[in-house]
Amino acid sequence: MLYMFNQSPLTTKKFQSLIKIASAGDPILLYEDGVISAMEGTAASNEVTVALTNHPIYALSPDLEARGIKHVIPGIQLVDYDGFVGLVEKDNVVPWI
Amino acid sequence: MDKVVILMRKAPYGSVYTSEGFRTIMGLAVFEMDLNILYMDDGVFTLVKDQKPEKLDMKPLGEGFSMLAEMNVKKFYVHKGSLADRGLSLDDLVMKVDQLDDAGVAEVLSSATKILPF
Repeated sequence: MLYMFNQSPLTTKKFQSLIKIASAGDPILLYEDGVISAMEGTAASNEVTVALTNHPIYALSPDLEARGIKHVIPGIQLVDYDGFVGLVEKDNVVPWI
Repeated sequence: MDKVVILMRKAPYGSVYTSEGFRTIMGLAVFEMDLNILYMDDGVFTLVKDQKPEKLDMKPLGEGFSMLAEMNVKKFYVHKGSLADRGLSLDDLVMKVDQLDDAGVAEVLSSATKILPF
């Protein structure tokens, strides 16, 4: 299952609830405000780094660039819109809105 | 004269709040009011440098807000703890703003006659 996450990890506990439910190996795709989760040095970076040990994590690069986020947690893979579509096609999707 | 505090707590681009806040301030700026903008929580992302909203076919917000200084907006405040939680510092922002601690935020809010949340 591909978990899609589009909200800031700093204002709700939804990233934690996603991590509790996702099975080991399930990919996570960060988009819209969800890309804030990919940012290095925030109060949420630690839990995202821990999540990387169990899940491949992808972030949509146009959303990162739009927000001026340059420093991404090492290990998070950047995708463009084609990559986004590729991920969505490959797995069943769980939108964690 | 009313002292208006526009309280911006949402990240830009993910919702309409930030751009609606901007539009509201543009509208208010033509009146004689004491206008103040306070950025906290994810609202601090509004002022981050080097935004490229054209990647989303959207209009730039950070620079738009810095233009408001030339209109009628008296003070721009940012919450220090919100910057720290995001690994950001004043150097990462597009404009000069006053930093407030928690008590400072409370003081600005309590001094307002009107608070507009976005």
